[in-house]
Amino acid sequence: MNKAGSRTYVRDALFEKPGPKALKKIRLVTALSLAALILLIFLVIRQFYITGQLDARYWSFFLRFTTWRFLFIGLLGTVEAASLGGVLALITGFLLMLARISKYRILNILSAALIEFTRGVPTLLFIYFFFLVVPQMGIKMSALWKVVFPVSISACGIVAEVLRSGVNAVPKGQREAAISLGMSEAATFLRIILPQAVRFVVPALISELVIVVKDTTFAYVVSFPDLMQNAKVLISNYDALLSVYLVVAVIYIIINYLLNQLSLYLAGRMDVSTVNVAEV
Amino acid sequence: MEENIIELKNVEKYFGTLHVLNNINLSVKRGEVVVIIGPSGSGKSTLCRTVNRLETIDSGEIFIDGELMPEEGQELARIRSEVGMVFQSFNLFAHMTILDNVTLAPRTVRKIPKAQAEKEAMELLKRVGIESQAGKVPAQLSGGQQQRAAIARALAMHPKAMLFDEPTSALDPEMINEVLDAMAELARDGMTMMIVTHEMNFARRVADRVIFMDQGQIIEESTPDKFFDAPGTKRARDFLSSIRTQ
Repeated sequence: MNKAGSRTYVRDALFEKPGPKALKKIRLVTALSLAALILLIFLVIRQFYITGQLDARYWSFFLRFTTWRFLFIGLLGTVEAASLGGVLALITGFLLMLARISKYRILNILSAALIEFTRGVPTLLFIYFFFLVVPQMGIKMSALWKVVFPVSISACGIVAEVLRSGVNAVPKGQREAAISLGMSEAATFLRIILPQAVRFVVPALISELVIVVKDTTFAYVVSFPDLMQNAKVLISNYDALLSVYLVVAVIYIIINYLLNQLSLYLAGRMDVSTVNVAEV
Repeated sequence: MEENIIELKNVEKYFGTLHVLNNINLSVKRGEVVVIIGPSGSGKSTLCRTVNRLETIDSGEIFIDGELMPEEGQELARIRSEVGMVFQSFNLFAHMTILDNVTLAPRTVRKIPKAQAEKEAMELLKRVGIESQAGKVPAQLSGGQQQRAAIARALAMHPKAMLFDEPTSALDPEMINEVLDAMAELARDGMTMMIVTHEMNFARRVADRVIFMDQGQIIEESTPDKFFDAPGTKRARDFLSSIRTQ
Protein backbone atom coordinates (compact mmCIF):
# COMPACT_ATOMS: atom_id res chain seq x y z
CA MET A 1 0.00 0.00 0.00
CA ASN A 2 1.52 3.29 -0.87
CA LYS A 3 0.61 6.15 1.39
CA ALA A 4 0.29 9.02 -1.03
CA GLY A 5 -2.66 8.74 -3.39
CA SER A 6 -3.61 5.07 -3.35
CA ARG A 7 -6.31 5.78 -5.94
CA THR A 8 -3.95 6.76 -8.71
CA TYR A 9 -1.75 3.87 -7.62
CA VAL A 10 -4.44 1.31 -8.39
CA ARG A 11 -5.20 2.94 -11.72
CA ASP A 12 -1.54 3.01 -12.67
CA ALA A 13 -1.24 -0.65 -11.85
CA LEU A 14 -4.21 -1.58 -14.02
CA PHE A 15 -3.91 0.71 -16.99
CA GLU A 16 -1.29 2.29 -19.17
CA LYS A 17 -0.54 5.95 -18.59
CA PRO A 18 -3.15 7.83 -20.69
CA GLY A 19 -1.90 9.53 -23.85
CA PRO A 20 -3.19 12.86 -25.26
CA LYS A 21 -6.30 11.32 -26.91
CA ALA A 22 -7.18 9.34 -23.82
CA LEU A 23 -6.71 12.43 -21.65
CA LYS A 24 -9.17 14.34 -23.85
CA LYS A 25 -11.64 11.49 -23.51
CA ILE A 26 -11.21 11.37 -19.73
CA ARG A 27 -11.89 15.13 -19.49
CA LEU A 28 -15.02 14.82 -21.62
CA VAL A 29 -16.40 11.91 -19.58
CA THR A 30 -15.62 13.76 -16.35
CA ALA A 31 -17.44 16.89 -17.53
CA LEU A 32 -20.47 14.89 -18.73
CA SER A 33 -20.78 12.90 -15.51
CA LEU A 34 -20.43 16.04 -13.39
CA ALA A 35 -23.23 17.66 -15.39
CA ALA A 36 -25.39 14.55 -14.98
CA LEU A 37 -24.73 14.48 -11.25
CA ILE A 38 -25.66 18.15 -10.81
CA LEU A 39 -28.84 17.58 -12.82
CA LEU A 40 -29.74 14.57 -10.67
CA ILE A 41 -29.23 16.48 -7.42
CA PHE A 42 -31.32 19.32 -8.80
CA LEU A 43 -34.13 16.94 -9.76
CA VAL A 44 -34.11 15.28 -6.32
CA ILE A 45 -34.27 18.61 -4.51
CA ARG A 46 -37.00 19.82 -6.87
CA GLN A 47 -39.01 16.67 -6.16
CA PHE A 48 -38.59 17.23 -2.41
CA TYR A 49 -39.72 20.81 -2.87
CA ILE A 50 -42.78 19.85 -4.90
CA THR A 51 -43.84 17.18 -2.38
CA GLY A 52 -43.25 19.60 0.49
CA GLN A 53 -40.42 17.69 2.11
CA LEU A 54 -38.41 20.89 2.45
CA ASP A 55 -41.15 22.55 4.59
CA ALA A 56 -39.83 24.12 7.76
CA ARG A 57 -41.87 21.75 9.99
CA TYR A 58 -39.81 18.79 8.79
CA TRP A 59 -36.52 20.47 9.58
CA SER A 60 -37.08 23.05 12.33
CA PHE A 61 -36.77 20.54 15.20
CA PHE A 62 -33.16 20.01 14.20
CA LEU A 63 -32.55 23.49 15.61
CA ARG A 64 -33.42 22.18 19.05
CA PHE A 65 -30.72 20.96 21.39
CA THR A 66 -32.89 18.11 22.67
CA THR A 67 -33.14 16.57 19.21
CA TRP A 68 -29.37 16.35 18.90
CA ARG A 69 -29.00 15.15 22.47
CA PHE A 70 -31.48 12.37 21.74
CA LEU A 71 -29.63 11.40 18.57
CA PHE A 72 -26.33 11.55 20.45
CA ILE A 73 -27.66 9.15 23.10
CA GLY A 74 -28.65 6.85 20.25
CA LEU A 75 -25.20 7.23 18.75
CA LEU A 76 -23.68 6.20 22.09
CA GLY A 77 -25.89 3.11 22.03
CA THR A 78 -24.69 2.29 18.52
CA VAL A 79 -21.06 2.76 19.53
CA GLU A 80 -21.58 0.62 22.63
CA ALA A 81 -23.26 -2.23 20.74
CA ALA A 82 -20.86 -2.07 17.80
CA SER A 83 -17.71 -1.99 19.89
CA LEU A 84 -18.86 -4.82 22.17
CA GLY A 85 -19.98 -6.77 19.11
CA GLY A 86 -16.71 -6.06 17.31
CA VAL A 87 -14.55 -7.16 20.24
CA LEU A 88 -16.64 -10.29 20.78
CA ALA A 89 -16.49 -11.13 17.07
CA LEU A 90 -12.72 -10.65 17.09
CA ILE A 91 -12.27 -12.99 20.07
CA THR A 92 -14.60 -15.70 18.79
CA GLY A 93 -13.31 -15.28 15.24
CA PHE A 94 -9.75 -15.72 16.49
CA LEU A 95 -10.69 -18.90 18.37
CA LEU A 96 -12.56 -20.24 15.32
CA MET A 97 -9.50 -19.51 13.17
CA LEU A 98 -7.22 -21.34 15.62
CA ALA A 99 -9.55 -24.36 15.49
CA ARG A 100 -9.73 -24.11 11.71
CA ILE A 101 -5.93 -24.34 11.29
CA SER A 102 -5.22 -26.68 14.21
CA LYS A 103 -3.74 -30.11 13.62
CA TYR A 104 -6.82 -31.83 15.03
CA ARG A 105 -9.11 -32.78 12.19
CA ILE A 106 -12.23 -32.83 14.32
CA LEU A 107 -11.63 -29.18 15.31
CA ASN A 108 -11.07 -28.27 11.64
CA ILE A 109 -14.41 -29.78 10.66
CA LEU A 110 -16.33 -28.29 13.59
CA SER A 111 -15.00 -24.80 13.04
CA ALA A 112 -15.46 -25.01 9.26
CA ALA A 113 -19.10 -25.93 9.88
CA LEU A 114 -19.55 -23.09 12.40
CA ILE A 115 -17.92 -20.59 10.05
CA GLU A 116 -20.20 -21.62 7.18
CA PHE A 117 -23.23 -21.46 9.47
CA THR A 118 -22.50 -18.01 10.87
CA ARG A 119 -21.60 -16.65 7.46
CA GLY A 120 -24.64 -18.12 5.76
CA VAL A 121 -27.40 -17.06 8.15
CA PRO A 122 -28.65 -13.45 7.91
CA THR A 123 -28.06 -11.28 10.98
CA LEU A 124 -31.77 -10.59 11.35
CA LEU A 125 -32.40 -14.30 11.92
CA PHE A 126 -29.90 -14.34 14.79
CA ILE A 127 -31.61 -11.22 16.19
CA TYR A 128 -34.98 -12.98 16.10
CA PHE A 129 -33.40 -16.00 17.77
CA PHE A 130 -32.16 -13.91 20.69
CA PHE A 131 -35.36 -11.85 20.72
CA LEU A 132 -37.91 -14.70 20.54
CA VAL A 133 -36.31 -18.06 21.26
CA VAL A 134 -33.77 -17.31 23.97
CA PRO A 135 -36.32 -15.75 26.38
CA GLN A 136 -38.53 -18.81 25.89
CA MET A 137 -35.66 -20.96 27.11
CA GLY A 138 -35.84 -18.94 30.34
CA ILE A 139 -32.64 -16.98 29.72
CA LYS A 140 -32.94 -13.29 30.50
CA MET A 141 -30.65 -10.72 29.00
CA SER A 142 -30.79 -6.99 28.45
CA ALA A 143 -31.67 -5.49 25.07
CA LEU A 144 -28.02 -4.53 24.60
CA TRP A 145 -26.86 -8.16 24.59
CA LYS A 146 -29.75 -9.14 22.36
CA VAL A 147 -28.05 -6.93 19.79
CA VAL A 148 -24.42 -7.65 20.65
CA PHE A 149 -24.63 -11.45 20.54
CA PRO A 150 -26.38 -11.81 17.18
CA VAL A 151 -24.26 -9.14 15.54
CA SER A 152 -21.01 -10.71 16.75
CA ILE A 153 -22.12 -14.24 15.86
CA SER A 154 -22.94 -13.01 12.40
CA ALA A 155 -19.46 -11.47 12.05
CA CYS A 156 -17.24 -14.06 13.77
CA GLY A 157 -17.15 -16.51 10.86
CA ILE A 158 -15.96 -13.83 8.47
CA VAL A 159 -13.42 -12.56 11.01
CA ALA A 160 -12.11 -16.14 11.31
CA GLU A 161 -11.72 -16.47 7.55
CA VAL A 162 -10.11 -13.04 7.23
CA LEU A 163 -7.59 -13.90 9.95
CA ARG A 164 -6.93 -17.26 8.32
CA SER A 165 -6.23 -15.63 4.98
CA GLY A 166 -3.74 -13.40 6.78
CA VAL A 167 -2.02 -16.39 8.38
CA ASN A 168 -1.82 -18.08 4.98
CA ALA A 169 -0.34 -14.95 3.45
CA VAL A 170 2.69 -15.03 5.74
CA PRO A 171 5.51 -16.60 3.67
CA LYS A 172 6.36 -20.18 4.65
CA GLY A 173 10.00 -19.21 5.16
CA GLN A 174 9.08 -17.10 8.20
CA ARG A 175 7.93 -20.18 10.07
CA GLU A 176 10.89 -22.24 8.89
CA ALA A 177 13.33 -19.57 10.05
CA ALA A 178 11.71 -19.44 13.48
CA ILE A 179 11.56 -23.18 14.12
CA SER A 180 15.09 -23.66 12.80
CA LEU A 181 16.18 -21.26 15.56
CA GLY A 182 14.62 -23.65 18.05
CA MET A 183 11.45 -21.66 18.71
CA SER A 184 8.40 -23.72 19.65
CA GLU A 185 5.41 -23.90 17.32
CA ALA A 186 3.41 -21.77 19.79
CA ALA A 187 6.09 -19.09 20.09
CA THR A 188 6.52 -19.09 16.32
CA PHE A 189 2.82 -18.54 15.82
CA LEU A 190 2.51 -15.80 18.45
CA ARG A 191 5.74 -13.90 17.75
CA ILE A 192 6.22 -14.37 14.01
CA ILE A 193 3.10 -15.49 12.15
CA LEU A 194 0.27 -13.71 13.97
CA PRO A 195 1.77 -10.20 14.11
CA GLN A 196 2.40 -10.28 10.37
CA ALA A 197 -0.97 -11.87 9.59
CA VAL A 198 -2.81 -9.15 11.54
CA ARG A 199 -0.89 -6.44 9.67
CA PHE A 200 -2.02 -7.96 6.39
CA VAL A 201 -5.69 -8.08 7.32
CA VAL A 202 -6.27 -4.88 9.33
CA PRO A 203 -8.11 -3.21 6.41
CA ALA A 204 -10.34 -6.28 5.92
CA LEU A 205 -11.05 -6.47 9.67
CA ILE A 206 -12.09 -2.82 9.75
CA SER A 207 -14.36 -3.37 6.76
CA GLU A 208 -16.00 -6.09 8.83
CA LEU A 209 -16.34 -3.64 11.73
CA VAL A 210 -18.21 -1.33 9.35
CA ILE A 211 -20.62 -4.19 8.67
CA VAL A 212 -20.99 -4.71 12.43
CA VAL A 213 -21.87 -1.03 12.83
CA LYS A 214 -24.50 -1.32 10.12
CA ASP A 215 -25.85 -4.57 11.58
CA THR A 216 -26.50 -2.85 14.91
CA THR A 217 -29.37 -1.01 13.19
CA PHE A 218 -31.35 -4.22 13.77
CA ALA A 219 -31.47 -2.99 17.37
CA TYR A 220 -34.95 -1.61 16.68
CA VAL A 221 -36.24 -5.21 16.67
CA VAL A 222 -35.34 -5.64 20.35
CA SER A 223 -36.04 -1.96 21.19
CA PHE A 224 -32.43 -1.22 22.11
CA PRO A 225 -31.97 2.57 21.96
CA ASP A 226 -29.34 2.89 19.25
CA LEU A 227 -29.12 5.64 16.67
CA MET A 228 -31.63 3.97 14.38
CA GLN A 229 -34.14 3.26 17.15
CA ASN A 230 -33.96 6.84 18.43
CA ALA A 231 -34.33 8.08 14.88
CA LYS A 232 -37.54 6.09 14.61
CA VAL A 233 -38.79 7.78 17.79
CA LEU A 234 -38.04 11.20 16.30
CA ILE A 235 -39.83 10.21 13.11
CA SER A 236 -43.03 9.29 14.91
CA ASN A 237 -42.81 12.36 17.19
CA TYR A 238 -42.42 14.88 14.40
CA ASP A 239 -43.93 12.89 11.56
CA ALA A 240 -40.74 13.66 9.63
CA LEU A 241 -39.54 10.57 7.81
CA LEU A 242 -37.24 11.87 5.13
CA SER A 243 -35.34 14.55 7.02
CA VAL A 244 -34.53 12.27 9.97
CA TYR A 245 -33.42 9.40 7.77
CA LEU A 246 -31.23 11.76 5.75
CA VAL A 247 -29.52 13.12 8.87
CA VAL A 248 -29.07 9.63 10.35
CA ALA A 249 -27.68 8.30 7.08
CA VAL A 250 -25.13 11.11 7.07
CA ILE A 251 -24.12 10.23 10.64
CA TYR A 252 -23.61 6.56 9.69
CA ILE A 253 -21.61 7.59 6.66
CA ILE A 254 -19.39 9.77 8.85
CA ILE A 255 -18.79 6.93 11.36
CA ASN A 256 -17.90 4.45 8.66
CA TYR A 257 -15.83 6.99 6.76
CA LEU A 258 -13.81 7.59 9.91
CA LEU A 259 -13.37 3.83 10.38
CA ASN A 260 -12.10 3.50 6.82
CA GLN A 261 -9.70 6.39 7.34
CA LEU A 262 -8.46 4.63 10.47
CA SER A 263 -7.92 1.50 8.41
CA LEU A 264 -5.90 3.39 5.81
CA TYR A 265 -3.87 5.04 8.55
CA LEU A 266 -3.13 1.74 10.28
CA ALA A 267 -2.34 -0.03 7.01
CA GLY A 268 0.14 2.72 6.13
CA ARG A 269 1.74 2.70 9.56
CA MET A 270 2.11 -1.05 9.82
CA ASP A 271 3.14 -1.65 6.24
CA VAL A 272 5.77 -4.36 6.52
CA SER A 273 6.19 -4.83 2.76
CA THR A 274 7.69 -8.28 2.86
CA VAL A 275 9.95 -7.38 -0.03
CA ASN A 276 12.71 -9.14 1.85
CA VAL A 277 11.56 -12.34 0.21
CA ALA A 278 14.09 -12.49 -2.58
CA GLU A 279 12.91 -10.85 -5.78
CA VAL A 280 12.95 -13.87 -8.03
CA MET B 1 32.97 -34.92 22.42
CA GLU B 2 31.67 -36.57 19.28
CA GLU B 3 33.87 -36.38 16.24
CA ASN B 4 30.92 -36.14 13.87
CA ILE B 5 28.76 -33.08 14.41
CA ILE B 6 26.32 -34.02 11.65
CA GLU B 7 25.69 -37.63 10.76
CA LEU B 8 23.07 -39.08 8.43
CA LYS B 9 22.55 -42.84 8.31
CA ASN B 10 20.57 -44.60 5.58
CA VAL B 11 18.29 -41.61 5.03
CA GLU B 12 15.46 -42.18 2.57
CA LYS B 13 12.85 -39.72 1.41
CA TYR B 14 10.15 -39.83 -1.24
CA PHE B 15 7.98 -37.08 -2.70
CA GLY B 16 5.18 -39.36 -3.85
CA THR B 17 6.92 -41.78 -6.20
CA LEU B 18 9.96 -39.53 -6.64
CA HIS B 19 12.94 -40.87 -4.68
CA VAL B 20 14.45 -37.54 -3.56
CA LEU B 21 16.93 -38.96 -1.06
CA ASN B 22 18.25 -42.40 -1.86
CA ASN B 23 20.17 -44.14 0.94
CA ILE B 24 22.10 -41.09 2.08
CA ASN B 25 25.05 -41.75 4.39
CA LEU B 26 26.99 -38.66 5.25
CA SER B 27 28.90 -37.17 8.10
CA VAL B 28 30.43 -33.78 8.80
CA LYS B 29 33.24 -33.65 11.32
CA ARG B 30 33.82 -30.92 13.85
CA GLY B 31 35.24 -27.88 12.11
CA GLU B 32 34.80 -29.40 8.67
CA VAL B 33 33.31 -27.52 5.72
CA VAL B 34 31.35 -29.77 3.39
CA VAL B 35 29.98 -28.34 0.16
CA ILE B 36 27.19 -30.13 -1.65
CA ILE B 37 26.83 -29.52 -5.35
CA GLY B 38 24.76 -31.06 -8.09
CA PRO B 39 22.27 -30.27 -10.81
CA SER B 40 18.90 -28.75 -9.88
CA GLY B 41 16.47 -31.37 -8.67
CA SER B 42 19.31 -33.57 -7.43
CA GLY B 43 18.01 -33.40 -3.85
CA LYS B 44 20.84 -31.29 -2.42
CA SER B 45 18.53 -28.63 -0.93
CA THR B 46 16.23 -31.29 0.44
CA LEU B 47 19.23 -33.00 2.03
CA CYS B 48 20.28 -29.75 3.68
CA ARG B 49 16.76 -29.17 5.00
CA THR B 50 16.43 -32.67 6.41
CA VAL B 51 19.41 -32.14 8.69
CA ASN B 52 17.35 -30.01 11.07
CA ARG B 53 14.12 -31.71 10.09
CA LEU B 54 12.54 -28.90 8.11
CA GLU B 55 11.89 -31.83 5.78
CA THR B 56 10.73 -35.09 7.30
CA ILE B 57 12.37 -38.32 6.25
CA ASP B 58 10.76 -41.66 5.51
CA SER B 59 13.46 -43.75 7.11
CA GLY B 60 16.98 -43.50 8.43
CA GLU B 61 18.56 -41.60 11.29
CA ILE B 62 20.05 -38.16 11.75
CA PHE B 63 22.46 -37.38 14.58
CA ILE B 64 23.59 -33.96 15.70
CA ASP B 65 26.70 -34.11 17.88
CA GLY B 66 25.87 -37.73 18.70
CA GLU B 67 22.24 -37.07 19.59
CA LEU B 68 19.50 -38.69 17.53
CA MET B 69 17.07 -36.10 16.08
CA PRO B 70 13.64 -36.96 17.48
CA GLU B 71 10.56 -36.59 15.31
CA GLU B 72 8.88 -33.88 17.37
CA GLY B 73 8.67 -32.06 20.65
CA GLN B 74 10.91 -29.96 22.86
CA GLU B 75 13.95 -32.14 22.27
CA LEU B 76 13.67 -31.55 18.52
CA ALA B 77 13.40 -27.80 19.12
CA ARG B 78 16.44 -27.87 21.42
CA ILE B 79 18.59 -29.72 18.88
CA ARG B 80 17.38 -27.42 16.10
CA SER B 81 18.47 -24.45 18.18
CA GLU B 82 22.01 -25.85 18.06
CA VAL B 83 22.09 -25.96 14.27
CA GLY B 84 22.07 -22.61 12.48
CA MET B 85 20.28 -22.38 9.16
CA VAL B 86 20.64 -19.80 6.39
CA PHE B 87 18.07 -19.83 3.60
CA GLN B 88 18.10 -18.88 -0.04
CA SER B 89 15.41 -16.24 0.54
CA PHE B 90 16.92 -14.92 3.82
CA ASN B 91 13.61 -15.30 5.71
CA LEU B 92 14.34 -12.46 8.09
CA PHE B 93 11.35 -11.69 10.27
CA ALA B 94 9.76 -8.95 8.19
CA HIS B 95 8.03 -7.14 11.06
CA MET B 96 11.09 -6.75 13.26
CA THR B 97 14.23 -4.67 13.18
CA ILE B 98 17.52 -6.37 12.32
CA LEU B 99 18.56 -6.20 15.98
CA ASP B 100 15.30 -7.83 17.10
CA ASN B 101 15.73 -10.49 14.42
CA VAL B 102 19.06 -11.41 15.96
CA THR B 103 18.02 -11.22 19.62
CA LEU B 104 14.60 -12.90 19.39
CA ALA B 105 15.74 -16.52 19.61
CA PRO B 106 18.43 -16.00 22.27
CA ARG B 107 15.84 -14.17 24.39
CA THR B 108 12.86 -16.47 23.91
CA VAL B 109 14.59 -19.84 23.55
CA ARG B 110 17.65 -19.38 25.74
CA LYS B 111 16.15 -16.78 28.13
CA ILE B 112 19.17 -14.52 27.80
CA PRO B 113 18.55 -11.03 29.31
CA LYS B 114 17.78 -8.31 26.80
CA ALA B 115 20.86 -6.20 27.43
CA GLN B 116 23.23 -9.12 27.07
CA ALA B 117 21.46 -10.45 23.96
CA GLU B 118 21.65 -7.03 22.34
CA LYS B 119 25.31 -6.63 23.17
CA GLU B 120 26.12 -9.98 21.60
CA ALA B 121 23.90 -9.21 18.63
CA MET B 122 25.71 -5.96 17.95
CA GLU B 123 29.04 -7.80 18.04
CA LEU B 124 27.72 -10.33 15.53
CA LEU B 125 26.32 -7.62 13.27
CA LYS B 126 29.69 -5.91 13.43
CA ARG B 127 31.38 -9.16 12.50
CA VAL B 128 29.29 -9.40 9.31
CA GLY B 129 29.73 -5.68 8.70
CA ILE B 130 26.17 -4.37 9.10
CA GLU B 131 26.11 -2.95 12.64
CA SER B 132 24.92 0.39 11.22
CA GLN B 133 21.74 -1.32 9.95
CA ALA B 134 20.67 -2.69 13.36
CA GLY B 135 17.67 -0.38 13.73
CA LYS B 136 16.22 -0.92 10.26
CA VAL B 137 13.63 -3.46 9.14
CA PRO B 138 14.64 -6.12 6.60
CA ALA B 139 12.88 -4.47 3.64
CA GLN B 140 15.18 -1.45 4.01
CA LEU B 141 18.32 -3.54 3.46
CA SER B 142 19.93 -4.82 0.28
CA GLY B 143 19.82 -8.55 -0.39
CA GLY B 144 23.44 -8.99 0.60
CA GLN B 145 22.91 -7.12 3.85
CA GLN B 146 19.80 -9.16 4.60
CA GLN B 147 21.66 -12.42 4.08
CA ARG B 148 24.48 -11.27 6.34
CA ALA B 149 21.90 -10.34 8.96
CA ALA B 150 20.44 -13.84 8.60
CA ILE B 151 23.89 -15.31 9.21
CA ALA B 152 24.25 -13.16 12.34
CA ARG B 153 20.81 -14.29 13.49
CA ALA B 154 21.83 -17.95 13.18
CA LEU B 155 25.17 -17.34 14.91
CA ALA B 156 23.44 -15.70 17.86
CA MET B 157 22.40 -19.15 19.07
CA HIS B 158 26.06 -20.28 19.18
CA PRO B 159 25.29 -23.22 16.89
CA LYS B 160 27.44 -26.34 16.73
CA ALA B 161 27.04 -26.33 12.96
CA MET B 162 25.68 -24.08 10.24
CA LEU B 163 23.58 -25.15 7.26
CA PHE B 164 23.54 -22.95 4.17
CA ASP B 165 20.83 -23.70 1.62
CA GLU B 166 21.90 -21.90 -1.56
CA PRO B 167 22.63 -18.69 0.37
CA THR B 168 23.61 -16.62 -2.68
CA SER B 169 21.17 -17.90 -5.30
CA ALA B 170 18.68 -15.07 -4.73
CA LEU B 171 21.28 -12.31 -4.71
CA ASP B 172 22.23 -9.81 -7.38
CA PRO B 173 25.72 -10.63 -8.71
CA GLU B 174 27.43 -7.68 -7.05
CA MET B 175 26.22 -8.80 -3.62
CA ILE B 176 27.30 -12.41 -3.79
CA ASN B 177 30.85 -11.82 -2.67
CA GLU B 178 30.01 -9.96 0.53
CA VAL B 179 28.00 -12.99 1.67
CA LEU B 180 30.61 -15.51 0.53
CA ASP B 181 33.29 -13.52 2.36
CA ALA B 182 31.31 -13.67 5.58
CA MET B 183 30.95 -17.43 5.12
CA ALA B 184 34.64 -17.91 4.34
CA GLU B 185 35.54 -16.04 7.50
CA LEU B 186 33.22 -18.27 9.46
CA ALA B 187 34.94 -21.32 7.96
CA ARG B 188 38.35 -19.93 8.91
CA ASP B 189 37.16 -19.51 12.48
CA GLY B 190 36.51 -23.25 12.59
CA MET B 191 32.72 -23.39 12.22
CA THR B 192 31.32 -26.74 11.13
CA MET B 193 29.43 -26.03 7.91
CA MET B 194 27.29 -27.78 5.34
CA ILE B 195 26.81 -25.63 2.27
CA VAL B 196 24.61 -26.16 -0.76
CA THR B 197 25.83 -23.82 -3.46
CA HIS B 198 26.39 -23.19 -7.15
CA GLU B 199 29.46 -21.04 -6.49
CA MET B 200 32.16 -23.40 -7.71
CA ASN B 201 35.13 -21.11 -7.08
CA PHE B 202 33.95 -20.57 -3.54
CA ALA B 203 33.46 -24.31 -3.08
CA ARG B 204 36.99 -25.00 -4.24
CA ARG B 205 38.44 -22.31 -2.01
CA VAL B 206 36.55 -23.04 1.21
CA ALA B 207 35.50 -26.69 1.19
CA ASP B 208 37.34 -29.44 2.98
CA ARG B 209 35.23 -31.96 1.14
CA VAL B 210 32.91 -31.81 -1.85
CA ILE B 211 29.85 -33.99 -2.21
CA PHE B 212 28.29 -34.39 -5.62
CA MET B 213 24.65 -35.41 -5.75
CA ASP B 214 22.41 -36.45 -8.60
CA GLN B 215 18.91 -37.93 -8.62
CA GLY B 216 18.79 -38.21 -4.84
CA GLN B 217 22.05 -40.07 -4.50
CA ILE B 218 25.53 -39.15 -3.39
CA ILE B 219 27.51 -39.91 -6.53
CA GLU B 220 30.92 -38.73 -5.52
CA GLU B 221 32.71 -37.52 -2.44
CA SER B 222 36.25 -36.14 -2.53
CA THR B 223 38.56 -33.22 -1.86
CA PRO B 224 37.80 -30.08 -3.84
CA ASP B 225 41.01 -30.19 -5.86
CA LYS B 226 40.49 -33.77 -6.86
CA PHE B 227 36.79 -33.23 -7.61
CA PHE B 228 37.22 -30.18 -9.79
CA ASP B 229 40.43 -31.32 -11.54
CA ALA B 230 39.74 -35.01 -11.97
CA PRO B 231 36.17 -36.00 -11.13
CA GLY B 232 35.88 -39.74 -10.69
CA THR B 233 32.44 -40.27 -12.21
CA LYS B 234 30.96 -39.56 -15.62
CA ARG B 235 27.98 -37.73 -14.14
CA ALA B 236 30.23 -35.35 -12.22
CA ARG B 237 32.33 -34.76 -15.34
CA ASP B 238 29.20 -34.02 -17.37
CA PHE B 239 27.92 -31.65 -14.72
CA LEU B 240 31.18 -29.75 -14.42
CA SER B 241 31.66 -29.46 -18.17
CA SER B 242 28.07 -28.22 -18.58
CA ILE B 243 28.81 -25.43 -16.11
CA ARG B 244 32.15 -24.54 -17.64
CA THR B 245 30.86 -24.25 -21.20
CA GLN B 246 28.36 -21.63 -20.11
